Parts: sequence; C-alpha cells; structure tokens
Amino acid sequence: MTLRADHVAGAAFVIFGLLVIALSGDLPMGELSMPGAGFMPKILAGLTIAFGIVLIVRARDSRPFAEIAWEDAVHAAAVTAITAAAIYFFEALGFITAMAAMMFALLIAIERRPLHYAVLYSVGVVGLTYLMFVYVLKTPLATGPFGF
Amino acid sequence: MDATLHSLLNGFAVALQLDNAWYAFLGCLVGTLVGVLPGIGPLSGISILLPVTFGLNATQAIIMLAGIYYGSQYGGSTTSILMRIPGEASSVMTCIDGYAMAKKGRAGAALCIAAVGSWIAGTFGVVVLTIVAPPLATLAVRFGPPEYTALLIVGLIFLAYMSSSSLVRTLLMACIGLLLGMIGIDNMTGHFRYSFDLAELGDGIGIVPVAVGLFGLGEILSTPSSNVVGEIISPKLRDLLPNRQEWRESAMPIARGTVLGFIIGIIPGSAHVISSFLSYALERRVSKHPEEFGKGAVAGVAGPESANNSASTGAFVPMLALGIPTSPITAVLIGALMLHGISVGPTLVNDHPDVFWGFVASMYVGNLMLLALNLPLVSVFVTVLRIPYAYLYPLIIMFCIIGVYEVNNSVVDVWIMLIMGVLGYWLRKFNFDPAPLVLGLVISPILEQSLRQSLIMSNGDYLIFLQRPISLGLLAVAAFLLALAALALIRQRADWRARLAEAEAGEAEA
Repeated sequence: MTLRADHVAGAAFVIFGLLVIALSGDLPMGELSMPGAGFMPKILAGLTIAFGIVLIVRARDSRPFAEIAWEDAVHAAAVTAITAAAIYFFEALGFITAMAAMMFALLIAIERRPLHYAVLYSVGVVGLTYLMFVYVLKTPLATGPFGF
Repeated sequence: MDATLHSLLNGFAVALQLDNAWYAFLGCLVGTLVGVLPGIGPLSGISILLPVTFGLNATQAIIMLAGIYYGSQYGGSTTSILMRIPGEASSVMTCIDGYAMAKKGRAGAALCIAAVGSWIAGTFGVVVLTIVAPPLATLAVRFGPPEYTALLIVGLIFLAYMSSSSLVRTLLMACIGLLLGMIGIDNMTGHFRYSFDLAELGDGIGIVPVAVGLFGLGEILSTPSSNVVGEIISPKLRDLLPNRQEWRESAMPIARGTVLGFIIGIIPGSAHVISSFLSYALERRVSKHPEEFGKGAVAGVAGPESANNSASTGAFVPMLALGIPTSPITAVLIGALMLHGISVGPTLVNDHPDVFWGFVASMYVGNLMLLALNLPLVSVFVTVLRIPYAYLYPLIIMFCIIGVYEVNNSVVDVWIMLIMGVLGYWLRKFNFDPAPLVLGLVISPILEQSLRQSLIMSNGDYLIFLQRPISLGLLAVAAFLLALAALALIRQRADWRARLAEAEAGEAEA
C-alpha cells in the first residue's frame, strides 16, 4: 500500500483529537441541561477524530506522501530557527538589538548577501522602524539593558 | 429610507472630517502596498497594523483597517498584471489575462480597467450595504441563543460547502480553530482549559498571533527567495486609458462581476477569492470568443477584479448587521472594534451610529481615493516591487513580530505566532486551507456560549433548535447543503466546486 499525504494528515488529526480528550480529563462534561466546561471541547475532539478517520479512509484521492516537495524545508527551518532565537532574546536584549541581529542573520546566513549591505540594511531599517513606532506612532517597543 | 439617507449624510459628516479622511487615505495607501507586495496579504497586513490603531478612536481605527482591506484588493491587481504574481489570493485570475494584455503592450489599459471595475464594484457594494444592513440588523435583534447557534452552524457548513478544498478538510480546520478558541477561562463555569499554567493563556489565544502566523509567517516559510522571480512590465502614463473597444468589452463583465461578487461576499468563506474564480469561469462561459481567454481577454480582467472588490464589501453586511464574521479578515476587524470597546452586532447601528455610518460613508470616500491613487501612482508602486524579496521578507517578519507583540505586550503571543507559522507551512504542504481555522477560532466563544445557553433554556432539549422558526429555517439550509455535498460524493461526480478546485490548482501550477 502506498503511503499517501492524507494517511499522514488524517493520523495526525486523530492523534491530536485523542490528545485533546486526554488533556480534558478533569474538565466536567456537565449535563445536557447544564453543559460543563468539557462539553464542547470533547464534542469537537470527537469530530476531529471522526474527520481524521474519514481523511484516512478516503486517502486514495490524495497524492503519495513521497511526492510532497520538501525542497523549501531547509529555508523554512533556517528562518524558523533564526526567528525563534530573536523571539527568545526579544525582551532580554530589546527591540533594536534583537531585530537587527535577526535581520542580519537572515541576510547573511540564508540569503548570502554582502556583509556591508546586510549591516547597513539591518541597522537602518530597524532604527527607522523604532523611530517611527516610538516617536511618530507613540507605540512603545520592548527595551533591553541599553534602554532601546 | 429617509432615515437611512439622513444617517448616511451624518456618516459623511463623520467620514469627511479631516482626521478621519486622513486615516481612510492612509488605510487605502497601505492597503495598496499590502496588495502589491507578494507574501503579505490583507489579513496579515491588517493584523500587523492593528496595534498602530490603539491610539485612535474606534471610528478612525475601523476606517483605516477597512481601507487596508479594500485597498489590498486594488493593489493585488498591479502585481498580477505587471509581473504575473498575485499580490494576494483573490488576484490569481487577473494574472492570466492581465499579464497577457501587458505583454501585448496594453498593461496601462488592463490596470485602468481593473481600477475602474474595482471602483464601480466597490461603490455598488457600499450602496447595497447601506440599504440592506440596517433592516437586517433590526431583524437580528430578535435573535436569541438558538438562532445564533443555528446561524453559526449554517455559516460553518456554508464555508465548508463553498470551499474549493473538500468538505471534510474545511470542517477539520474549523474544528481545530474552534478547539483553539476553547483555550483559557470558561466564561460560564470559570474553569481553566488547556492553559498549562500560563497566565497569558488565561484569556485565550488571540486572533492576531494566529492569523499573522498562519498567513504572514506561514507564507514566508513556504516561499524561498530563490522562487520569487518576475519580470516587471512598466506601463507608461499615456497608455493608461483603454480604447473604445476595450471599454465596450469590459462593461458587461464589470456589471456581472459586481453583482456576482456581492452575493458571494455575503456568504461565509474566502468570498473574495471564490468570487474572482467564479466570475472568470462565468465570463469564459458567456463569451462569444472563449478561445481568447488566457491570451489577453479584457473580460478576464474586468470580471474577476470587479467580483473580488464587490465581495469584499459584501462581507461587511453580515459583519455589521449580525456581528458574524464571514471571513478571517472581517473576524480580525470585529476583534479590532472589540479592542476599542465596541461590541459588533445588531445593536451597533443604534448604539454607535457614528462608528457604523462613519464607516459606511468612509467606504464611498475610500473607493474614490483608491481610484485617484492607483492609476497615477502605479509607477511608484512598481518601484516597491523592485526591492529584492531577500531583503523584503526579513522586514515582513519584523513587522509580524511587532504587530503581534504590541497587542498585549506579550512574548507568549509571539511564540504562538511562530508555532502557527510552522503549522501554516505544514498545512500548505498537505493542501489544507488555514482560513476556516481562523474563522473557527473567532466564532468559538459565541458558538459555545449560544449552544450552552440554548440547552440551559430548554432544560437540555435539543428540539429547541427545531421549535423556533428562524433556527429551523437556518438548520434546514445547513441540511440542504450537506445533502448536496453528500449527493456529489455518492455520485462520484465532480460538481462545480471540484471543477473550481481543479481550475485553482491548474492556475497555481501555471
């Protein structure tokens, strides 16, 4: 049997539905005349499992899992990793440092842009954005140990 | 009718105040840029700029955000015609004949027809909205929890039925969205649900991090810069006017696209996307020269462009009259008004006439602004497209982070955005449309509360939904749609939705 995209997707949704039910253990279902906090989530988790099973059963209409193109996965993983690092340090380092470092890393590590362009662009764009938000739009941004 | 006209005039008095007109202009300008830039659609544009409206009053905020929405429909046509890159999803059909016209040296004419068609459609939409929304709101005041429950269920089924992906996939996405909407404190019992001891999750997951993650970041993760290439055709200003033959060929498609778009806009789903596909299919079918489609047919630009703008306005009818979002974008707009302390629903027109009528009147003004803005400034917008995507997407990621962080000053929201971005990437890989997920998230609290209230009212008797005429009628519509979908499944025959999906897939590959 060929493993198809909907086999994988359907299985993922079934597991997700089961996980929701497991996490809903202490939420009361209540009664029909007074539904509790677990009433809707458990119904929805049941529906998710049911639809996931339908997806698996009808998976023959979907393309083989092996045919899904993953050539952009390296780009996606690299962007995710750099963005995650920037978010992690966002409040500790402040907006300007964290964002400039993120843009610089994206331009150098992923896009292989010339160093001086990357530095100028990162610092310039982040600086202008900071000025626009903080002084023109009066919207405060995260500040780090350096006060910006 | 006199009362409506009087209220509309008051609305114009609000919309034409200098500061309100300025925010309408700003919204239209930013919206056009959002539409022009690939990788950033109206939903992420509105979400990112939501915090910027915190310093404004509710009227100014909604005027500006709505300007971004319908401005992006105008802007999306520019990249479609000049680069064959749809700035946003509803412009996909414009790519085909718009770019073909541009290659034949008629780029200016195509842009002008798209702009004029968009203006006519947008204005028509606002006129009908002006007439229809207030009486609909009066009717909706009679709605109780069972009617709201039935209405939301019909909305979800409509969305699933109209969706070009399968019914099961759409309902699955809606279920996930509804489940995400359950996170946080249960309003009726005070139980904490799935918050994992994170105080930030006590209030639930916001629309903004989910929408920006799924649509903004998810799009960027799926688009390596090496894939974004395109030759830009720069139109000359003197070539902007279509000739007499082109005007003649565009008149009826604009009219048909306008009416079709508005009707589809009222129905839940990604209406502006579906409407442009349906309009293109309709124009090809009624054309005496269907063989010209794909080679620069004027109707292939005029119809879809009018339809997607009309649908954008149509989507405001259920939003303003019923408080029901029919698309993720109107959901975010409702969220924006809620952040400003305005509860959207049937009482909006009476409780906040300045907001309601000011907003409606601003759309008349905004559509005129867009017409004046888009044609003369087309070369300026084209210049933006010359910024390499490799430099553009880090900027978009930064604005995504700012937009999400600023709503609650919470880094947890930014983490949610990142997780949603990765989820959006995976969903695209497995052909799931994330829009129903956002819609599910938004309607989740209303649906849960109205369902539970209905059951409490009836002492646990489900028949309450069948005993009240409005909810019975709405559920009958839902059952009819499910039966139609089931019939197509049993017959194993491709109905119009499957053919639409094939057309979409074909265009995406082309």
